[in-house]
Amino acid sequence: MFRIDRRLLQNVDWLLLVTAFGLVTISTVTLASLHVDRAGGSVVVRQLVWFAIGLVVMVFLASLDSRRLVRAAPVIYLLGLAGLASVFALGRTVSGARRWVVWGPLSVQPSELFKVCFVLMMVWALTSRWAQPVGKLTLTMMLPLVAVPIVLIIKQPDLGTALLLVPVLVILLIGAGVRLKLLGGMALGAVLSMPLAWFALKEYQRERILVFLDPFRDPLGSAYNVIQAKIAIGSGQLLGKGVAGATQSRLSFLPERHTDFIFAVFAEMWGFVGCLILLLCYVLLLLRGFDIAATAREPVGRLVALGATSLFAAQVLINVGMVTGLLPVVGIPLPLMSYGGSSMVASFMTLGLLLSVRMRQFQ
Amino acid sequence: MSATRRSLPRRDASHRRVMLIATSVVFSFLILIGQLWYLQVLEGGRFLDASDKNRIRVRPIAAPRGILFDRHGVPLVDNRPAFTLSFIPRELPRDEESRDAVLGRVASLLHIPYGDLQEAVARVPSDSLLPVRVRRGLTLADVAKIEEWKLELPGVITEVEPQRVYPTSRFAAHLLGYVREASDEQLKQGRYRRGDMVGQSGLERLLDEYLRGQDGGERIEVDAMGRPVRRVQTTEPHAGAQVVTTIDRGIQEAAERAMEGVAGAVVVMDPRNGDVLAMVSTPAFELDRFTGTIDRDAWLRVVQDPNFPLLNRTIQTQYAPGSVFKILVSAAGLQEGSITPLDHVDCNGEFHLGTATFKDWKEGGHGMVDLHHAIQQSCNIFFYEAGLKIGGATIVRYANMFGFGQPTGIDLPGEKAGLLPKPQVVRGRAGKTFLPGETVNMSIGQGTLLVTPMQIARFMAAVANGGVLWRPRLVQRVERPDRVVWSDQGQVLGHVELSPVVWAFLRQSLWAVVNDNGTGAAARIPGLDIAGKTGTAQMINKSKAEKGQDHAWFASFAPVKAPEVVVIVLVERGGKGGQVAAPIARKILNAIFFEKIASVEIAG
Repeated sequence: MFRIDRRLLQNVDWLLLVTAFGLVTISTVTLASLHVDRAGGSVVVRQLVWFAIGLVVMVFLASLDSRRLVRAAPVIYLLGLAGLASVFALGRTVSGARRWVVWGPLSVQPSELFKVCFVLMMVWALTSRWAQPVGKLTLTMMLPLVAVPIVLIIKQPDLGTALLLVPVLVILLIGAGVRLKLLGGMALGAVLSMPLAWFALKEYQRERILVFLDPFRDPLGSAYNVIQAKIAIGSGQLLGKGVAGATQSRLSFLPERHTDFIFAVFAEMWGFVGCLILLLCYVLLLLRGFDIAATAREPVGRLVALGATSLFAAQVLINVGMVTGLLPVVGIPLPLMSYGGSSMVASFMTLGLLLSVRMRQFQ
Repeated sequence: MSATRRSLPRRDASHRRVMLIATSVVFSFLILIGQLWYLQVLEGGRFLDASDKNRIRVRPIAAPRGILFDRHGVPLVDNRPAFTLSFIPRELPRDEESRDAVLGRVASLLHIPYGDLQEAVARVPSDSLLPVRVRRGLTLADVAKIEEWKLELPGVITEVEPQRVYPTSRFAAHLLGYVREASDEQLKQGRYRRGDMVGQSGLERLLDEYLRGQDGGERIEVDAMGRPVRRVQTTEPHAGAQVVTTIDRGIQEAAERAMEGVAGAVVVMDPRNGDVLAMVSTPAFELDRFTGTIDRDAWLRVVQDPNFPLLNRTIQTQYAPGSVFKILVSAAGLQEGSITPLDHVDCNGEFHLGTATFKDWKEGGHGMVDLHHAIQQSCNIFFYEAGLKIGGATIVRYANMFGFGQPTGIDLPGEKAGLLPKPQVVRGRAGKTFLPGETVNMSIGQGTLLVTPMQIARFMAAVANGGVLWRPRLVQRVERPDRVVWSDQGQVLGHVELSPVVWAFLRQSLWAVVNDNGTGAAARIPGLDIAGKTGTAQMINKSKAEKGQDHAWFASFAPVKAPEVVVIVLVERGGKGGQVAAPIARKILNAIFFEKIASVEIAG
């Protein structure tokens, strides 16, 4: 199981790894310049510890054949569901949401890790023999597999993660060859059912969507984050204010500045040019991921790579979109940049899956 | 061939689909970059402007400190709003020259030393938005001046905060203690933030964590001129807990009046439960000058004052008890049977021990005296002989029983334990023993014997109540609006068992000291049965010229039949106890028993 022969090592995607490490380095420098301290030590030190854990997890996943992982997906998926459910029993409440489970010195956010389990499970469902050809029947049978975790995650409540699963699923369906007409019909159904979903949302979630539609609805409350983030990003201008001049970020005007809003901090410090470079890093990383998916020889590996890459892409796009005011604030971290152990580990899990597929593409 | 043909389109199809997805992702990134271009390049100037004007000022709202009440619910201290001058470091001018100009203007407007202002600014990081308090207790005129020059004083603000106010400037200074900004050392402990008001002595320090309350705060958006535009968020402060002490404000004030102009201490205690009704130490410091920011000169003046006004003489200064100690020697002798009321001594004013001569305070002596008269007249010669009969070890044992040589356990910090003579190794004798000279000195309360006025108060209380040693109680309870968070029910620390006839004899003799031509006649109030004992603590190894430098004691309780109060008076360098301390005790007792009734009736 852990045997890695030389041929596998020759196919390690070094560009992918170098890009990822570069992003972690940028994240570390940004966090260090914020001087955020939490009980139990500096955020930077904790982030580096999580980075090391992430590396180990990545190497472990890369050493496994993704087909074997997908075969074990139902078990992994059930474990993931159990993790989600455990939040309600053992969870710790942070600012009104029960998303964390504390294990000794670590607090883990099961919904972050579940995203990876979800991708594997979807690939399992889409590539199983009973699912072929992928059509209405398959989709109907998959419905509970999707609905149960989404309900559990929304109940935490972690709307961002729940919403994240939808584009990932859509991309996997496209990759698995579902007819585009069928997908279009589903999209229409989803839009029509939106008014129903409105009633399922919590008050603050509705408020955030309304504020997204009209930011000055409540400039002191919900929109405070968005306005402050926009001011931070915009005031960075072309070249940025540098670390010392980034008053918005350093003076704590910006909420959640080391987690979900870290992009605004970076944008204030390094300006449009810096943002361009950062986004290009992400694009480079994602294109490598799509390349791995495109060049994979067998459908399981291809879908695993596609799922992992789309998961990553959706998080980056939603996070930057919400920080720049294009999307409502839903609370999704920026992969490899935001402070957060579970997010860091989940990011490296996706990288591990990509490496695993790439290393075996010529077998 | 056909297999290849059939599989190729499938692979091509999936390949196409991946490319489709990748393209749409890249396209989404282009949208993001477009938005960034809009925010940062097209609108960047506007947002930069906004970030410069983005001044949300976080203004802490100081919680009012809890109030200290006396036993009848009369406040001992209160709060009133006071003006404070503060700087907001980040809003002071950036370049040094114009910043110095601002500081210079403030210095000349308010007559504050320029150096103090610079020091205050240098202490904190220059990009902090939290106000730094520079000076408290501004007058309305000061505030008006600052407001008038506001436009030329960016980063300078005045705030309103609750500040301590006292009935009189020196009222119960040692008991209450002063409140000041946390010192650098206290800041290092990490429990306080800069500018926090912290109790530094007395009850304010002891109960600081209850009294301080929880500061609130508000976030205010201000414009470039520093004028508040709107309030963003407010968190209400929670006032500190209220403290109910055992002090009787009327008695405290009467005792302070009686002690005016002399240095010393007064303790008034209820012998039935150990409650401290008054606690005076003179000279006192001016509480209100110590509150907030005190200027260095005033501080040095107090610290270097040869009269040590910061010292709480009731518990922190140790004196020889003088003849007051004869009560204890009598108790030990009678209980042990070493002396009886019928023992006589012919006092001629001198007592010889070996080659040494010990004198009575009265030239020529008292003539023939028994124990009762020896207490009444405070005859030294009788007690020299009695002490030798009883023995040093026994006297020290009784002193220990009555709590001498140990702190009383009162709630205030810094209490002294006093000192008892220790047996010494004497050549030719086994073990340790008391030298006769030491025992003779101890018998009249001199020598290596030191006590605090609080210890004497508790001792007198035990004589008055039949041997119960109470821990002196200062605080009854600390209460928040919804519940009592701390309470002290009083505590008996020991019980001195003496035969009832001994207690009766002592009370009778102490009554005679005041009411039957004794040394304490100056404390007599017709119609009130006061028992007391005078004491004159000689300064050891002092020349005759300094005889007037003796400390004067008067220890008393009243009424004798059912004692309600113990009053201890000590006057430093006052002279004879009967002449100096007893009249002060009389004033206090008079106030307690007669003025108090009047005031209660008026209030009722």
